Amino acid sequence: MDAHPYAFLALFAAIAVAFPVILLSVAQLWFRFFQPAKPSADKGAAYECGVTPTGDSWIQFKAHYYLYAILFLIFDVELLFLLPFAVAFTGLSAGALATMLVFIFLLAEGLVWAWHRGHLEWK
Amino acid sequence: MNLDYAGLFHALRPETSLVVGALIILGLDLSIFRRHTPVERLNLALWIGALAVLAAAAHVWFAPEGPVFGGVLILDKLAMATRLGVLGLTLLTFGVASAAPAPRNPAEQVAIILFATTGFLLMAAAQQLLLAFLALELASLSLYVLAGFDKTRPESAEAALKYFLFGGMAAAFLLFGFSLIYGLTGSIELPQIAGQLFHVTLSPLLVVALVMVLVAFGFKAAAAPFHLWAPDVYEGAPTSSAALIASASKLAGFTLFARLFWREFGAVAGSVSSAHGEPGWLPAVAVIAAVSMLIGNFGALAQSNVRRLLAYSAIAHAGNLLLGVIAAGDAGPAPFYYYAATYGLATVGAFGVIAVAERAGPCQKITDLAGLHRRSPLLAGCLAVFVLSLAGIPPLAGFFGKFTVFSAALQMGGLAGPAGWLAMLAIALSALALYYYLVILKQALVAKPAPDAAPIAVPAIAKLALVLAAGLIVLFGVNPSLLLGLF
Amino acid sequence: MIHATLHAYVALSAALFAIGLLGVLIRRNTLVVFMCLELMLVASTLGLVAFSRFNGTDDGNVFVFFILTVAAAEVAVGLAIIVALFRKRQTIQVDELNTLKH
Repeated sequence: MDAHPYAFLALFAAIAVAFPVILLSVAQLWFRFFQPAKPSADKGAAYECGVTPTGDSWIQFKAHYYLYAILFLIFDVELLFLLPFAVAFTGLSAGALATMLVFIFLLAEGLVWAWHRGHLEWK
Repeated sequence: MNLDYAGLFHALRPETSLVVGALIILGLDLSIFRRHTPVERLNLALWIGALAVLAAAAHVWFAPEGPVFGGVLILDKLAMATRLGVLGLTLLTFGVASAAPAPRNPAEQVAIILFATTGFLLMAAAQQLLLAFLALELASLSLYVLAGFDKTRPESAEAALKYFLFGGMAAAFLLFGFSLIYGLTGSIELPQIAGQLFHVTLSPLLVVALVMVLVAFGFKAAAAPFHLWAPDVYEGAPTSSAALIASASKLAGFTLFARLFWREFGAVAGSVSSAHGEPGWLPAVAVIAAVSMLIGNFGALAQSNVRRLLAYSAIAHAGNLLLGVIAAGDAGPAPFYYYAATYGLATVGAFGVIAVAERAGPCQKITDLAGLHRRSPLLAGCLAVFVLSLAGIPPLAGFFGKFTVFSAALQMGGLAGPAGWLAMLAIALSALALYYYLVILKQALVAKPAPDAAPIAVPAIAKLALVLAAGLIVLFGVNPSLLLGLF
Repeated sequence: MIHATLHAYVALSAALFAIGLLGVLIRRNTLVVFMCLELMLVASTLGLVAFSRFNGTDDGNVFVFFILTVAAAEVAVGLAIIVALFRKRQTIQVDELNTLKH
């Protein structure tokens, strides 16, 4: 095989386009010959299982969700540093451990602050 | 790689003092002082913060010189001088904050000021691209929060958003420039980069990297044409935040800028001392400096809002400071350091006067200062010192700052090159600037107060801070070697 | 195994950066502007990783770790500011932020 290094990408792209096109055209043919459209209010509903949706789906979320997301994000990113640290742990000095503990202490301190300020309570 | 953690902890004692101070403030505010009034909590936080800053200053003073942690940080004379200057300006900012009305979260405000100061201290000593970027972002993110700290006014949030968007863009430019520099030289340590660039010619990729970093610092320093955020932020942000943005962040930022460009890109500096200068970053900085001086000074002429006027004056001063950075190659960092430090003193003082005047009523328009000499002679006297120092009137420190920067620029090649022309432009525009500074003073010292204007009571701490700032400006103006002796 | 050249990575990184910058300059919704800012940061991240690979040093990879952290912190601060502003002004369109006049 001495193809261009990107050749398989082109093949992949071709399959990726062809697959849905084939499926959709089969569905289109089926629709045209066997099952003409009979639209009704029940069929157009968001859930066709008896539950009537109320209101608009474009509602405003509470700004409070952002706060949880932000707090989560901080600890999510903490992992980024903890993982390499854990992998290299046996080869590291006591100074590195102390540095990491300071890092975790500062993050934990932030969480304690948010907790005491009442930002973790759902209002 | 031999990493000396003990040495690192030892060298970071100033930063540690500040962070520990901030944590103590937050802890006490959450536990013991929870039920006290905001004013009491603000005062407590300010006192602990001041102690932390003083402890940090003592650590900076006694710190040994030399590289730290394999050259990530460098503690040289410039770093020490900048750190002391930044800590002093932070202390005065606390004075401004004590005069302003207590915010809803006073302890957090002081803690975030301390975090920003930690960033400034690291900026002053960073000798590696990663640490420089992190320090700059620590300082910037803290400043965005501070700009939006007043939750009662929509202007504050709007100022914070504008500051954030421009600052975020600057950070992205800086990072892209850094990534290209790393790609070209294979290192993120300034000495190694400088060594690599010594063999490299000015390739297109290097030019792109230089431009990116320059644009980023232009944004951060509010140099034209990247200054658009400055007037809005100065107007909308709480007074103490504006004071910190205008003073300490400028000093630390210009130190980082000079260190980065002279240490790292010294080999591709180019030349501006003769009319046929070599290409490099110096000519580009010279253009930015000239545009900043012009836009700052002419923009300030049109202002009726005293904070926006201070913002345009800051843009003009940023131009002068860039001239100082250009001259730093021959004259060393002392001139621009002196200029930035004394400029910071004068701006903090001016914002302090505004903060105190706001206790008696709104202080946005220049005419709001009318008759200040009747309402509070002390305030009017201090304002006169600050504004005249900004204008560069002898014997105040602002005069000697301009003198030393302009003479350093003129010594680079006389009037034969852009550096000399720029110095002449700066001198001419300083004369023009006198007009708008005198407009402020005319209102404060000559105009009659509004009939319903009450006398202004100056709180003791604010009085101390203002008198201290004014005294230092006179002292450094009369005896510049007090500051220049740090080098 | 694909062997993309360094130029390809740098070009992609520059393109991403340009798209982000364009978005910051022309989009009017603050949240979209904000996402474009993040795109600019990610563009430099890509450049750093590629350079790190081709330079054979780890500095670039370490840099990326810290950029991700800074980006997360920036998101936290930026969203907080946007929420604070929305509470006061009930809008996040850049055009309508004109309390502070030029």
